[in-house]
Amino acid sequence: MSNMQRLLDAGLEELTVLVYKMGGVAEKALAISLGGFIDGKDVSKDVHELAEILVNRTVEVEEKAFGLIARYQPVASDLRIINSYMKVAYDFERYGRYGWDISFIGTRFNGKTINCDKWIFDYIGKLAEKVLEMVRVSISSLRKLNPELVKTMTQAEDSVDKAYFEYLDKLVEQAGVTNECTISSVLVVRYLERIADHAMHIMEAVVYIATGEKVTLR
Amino acid sequence: MSKNSQDLSLAKLETRDLKAIYGKVQALKGINLRFPENRVTAVMGPSGCGKSTLIRCLNRIHELTPGAKVEGEVILDGVNIYAPNVDPVAIRRRIGMVFQKPNPFPTMSIFDNAVAGLKLNGVRDKKKLNELAEKSLRMAFLWDEVKGDLKKPGTALSGGQQQRLCIARALAVQPEILLMDEPCSALDPIATAKVEESIFELKKEFTVIIVTHNLQQAARVSDYTAFMYLGKLEEFGETARVFENPQSELTEKYITGKFG
Amino acid sequence: MERTDLPLGISLWRKIVNRLMFILIIVAVLLAVVPLILILGDVAIKGAPAINIDFLTHLPTGPTFSGGGIASAVAGSFTMVGLAALISVPIGVGAGIFFSEWSSSKLSTISGFMNDVLTGFPSMVIGLFVYIIIVLNTKHYSAFAGAVALSFIMLPIVARTTDESLKLVPNTLREASMALGVPRWKTIFRIVISTGKTGLLTGVVLAIARATGETAPLLFTAATSTYYITNLFTQPTGSMTVLIYNYATSPYATWVTQAWGAALVLILIMLGLNLFVKIVIGRNLTEARME
Repeated sequence: MSNMQRLLDAGLEELTVLVYKMGGVAEKALAISLGGFIDGKDVSKDVHELAEILVNRTVEVEEKAFGLIARYQPVASDLRIINSYMKVAYDFERYGRYGWDISFIGTRFNGKTINCDKWIFDYIGKLAEKVLEMVRVSISSLRKLNPELVKTMTQAEDSVDKAYFEYLDKLVEQAGVTNECTISSVLVVRYLERIADHAMHIMEAVVYIATGEKVTLR
Repeated sequence: MSKNSQDLSLAKLETRDLKAIYGKVQALKGINLRFPENRVTAVMGPSGCGKSTLIRCLNRIHELTPGAKVEGEVILDGVNIYAPNVDPVAIRRRIGMVFQKPNPFPTMSIFDNAVAGLKLNGVRDKKKLNELAEKSLRMAFLWDEVKGDLKKPGTALSGGQQQRLCIARALAVQPEILLMDEPCSALDPIATAKVEESIFELKKEFTVIIVTHNLQQAARVSDYTAFMYLGKLEEFGETARVFENPQSELTEKYITGKFG
Repeated sequence: MERTDLPLGISLWRKIVNRLMFILIIVAVLLAVVPLILILGDVAIKGAPAINIDFLTHLPTGPTFSGGGIASAVAGSFTMVGLAALISVPIGVGAGIFFSEWSSSKLSTISGFMNDVLTGFPSMVIGLFVYIIIVLNTKHYSAFAGAVALSFIMLPIVARTTDESLKLVPNTLREASMALGVPRWKTIFRIVISTGKTGLLTGVVLAIARATGETAPLLFTAATSTYYITNLFTQPTGSMTVLIYNYATSPYATWVTQAWGAALVLILIMLGLNLFVKIVIGRNLTEARME
């Protein structure tokens, strides 16, 4: 059985490189935007650039994927990979979009630094760490195609969901929180929950590519 | 899995430990396969895997080659067609075959070719012959193209039309099962498409077993796919599943074009 | 090798060799064909004077009488060749079918070999053999004996040409027929023979042409006669070839001329048969090949 280069392989390689790069950009966008929110810096311009790149790349991935399907009529694992990459590209684009939304929050109130109590920044900071870790695992699982980390990821997602609802409860009980703080923190926590959701979507794709099984982890 | 067991009970044709030999070479090494009724089953695999030998064993054509031997059983509606008191000629009237290269009888007209199986077996009733000729030519999607002049010699048609004539010829004897040995490999894409269209319609009345080396064709026309390698059955299952998520690594390697 | 190195045009040397070879081939063809033309011409010139209605319709007469003909000899040849065909064609075609359709059996190989040996057998020996087993036993020269001898000549030709014509029928047609549930014997007769019938016919006609021209086997089986025969089994029968032999070796000028005439008639019959094969059957063959 030779490992001869099929015509499809060159296309698949290009597609894979594209998707991996997108992952890197998406992770960066999220890291910068979350850091910006916690530290009170305006990073919206940088994050916006990265989000734009991701939007364009998504279109590229779609076109490439359809081109491969039309030309080579891939089957089995090839087809699953191409199918999944199209979905994953969208997830990365969403990462970027949420990153931009988060960075935008900091500037919403006319550049006024959002003065939240420390406990809020701590809470969100911890949550952000957790979610960023999930994002990293989703990207590396895609590269390595190892679905074994699904279990830890599912647990992580459950705790993120829990933290989301807990925060809302806590916030309701807390008095003396400014409007800007309430709105911006709720939005950020909401975005974090969504990001975690997309990370699970990527894990579903990893399972599908590796085993052919269609699972719902969310 | 439950889907498979439902169809297993409706197997029209079944092989049990089927072995076939050409002289010294063992082409089939014990095949156990069930062909579901009124479905199209594709048999595929790299050259030399035994797929053609397999279907030639199903209608007892394999044994016509000098030096060929068959062991094991092929069960049609509960009866082993290789049992000693079974008449192979009668079997071949129930299991028809279409060959790789179109082979209409050169001395006969289109009409005579279509009903050759009937005429040669003594059917004289003109009305019946006309009816069956039209019916089978329609099923092969050839009627509209030839109805104007059925007296033309069979060999005056194009390659694709000749192959459809051979399909009509096989259908006219009203078999229960139709075997097709790479029926499109000598045809151009348009003729191929026409033949595939007809296969789609055929499964309403017949059980079709098609050998093909064209993966996309197997994916297009078949409900079930069997993958063979070096005389053994590697994998069998619903086509959609085999092509999306093959269980055997060999199958995966073959259908993604990494060998063969 | 650079593109500019390729020479344009054919070298003079090659042109000369081409032309030389072509001329040599033409010479060879002429050498092969010329004898036939010379013979035809010779026979035509020497035999034409003898041809007239009387010649073709009267019985032979003594050398000093005029108005003698070769009618009985012609009748005798036709009778014996016809009878020989009746014997050898069914057997020969049957054997040919066996060789072709059961070619893998040992019997087929062995008898096929023996058939080929018979093809080249000296016709004199065949005549002698028939003389011993039929003529000596029945105590008569007869048309029957002559026919049997001729059938020995014809049989292997028919068998071999049948075999080869049927072998030319593509095996896929046999398979197609068998796959329709047609029994083997029907497949052979309705499909295989039907498809190969032109070749079969050609073989039979050629065998007939060959038998018409045979002399040696008739010498001691049918002998000669100057009368029309009434009994196939008890009367010696005249034939064109034996008549030519007798007349040509006689000292009478009239008979010699008649021998030339008979030879001309014989050659014309042979040519006719060969042309028939070429034109009528050959046309069908070409049509079949073009499909």
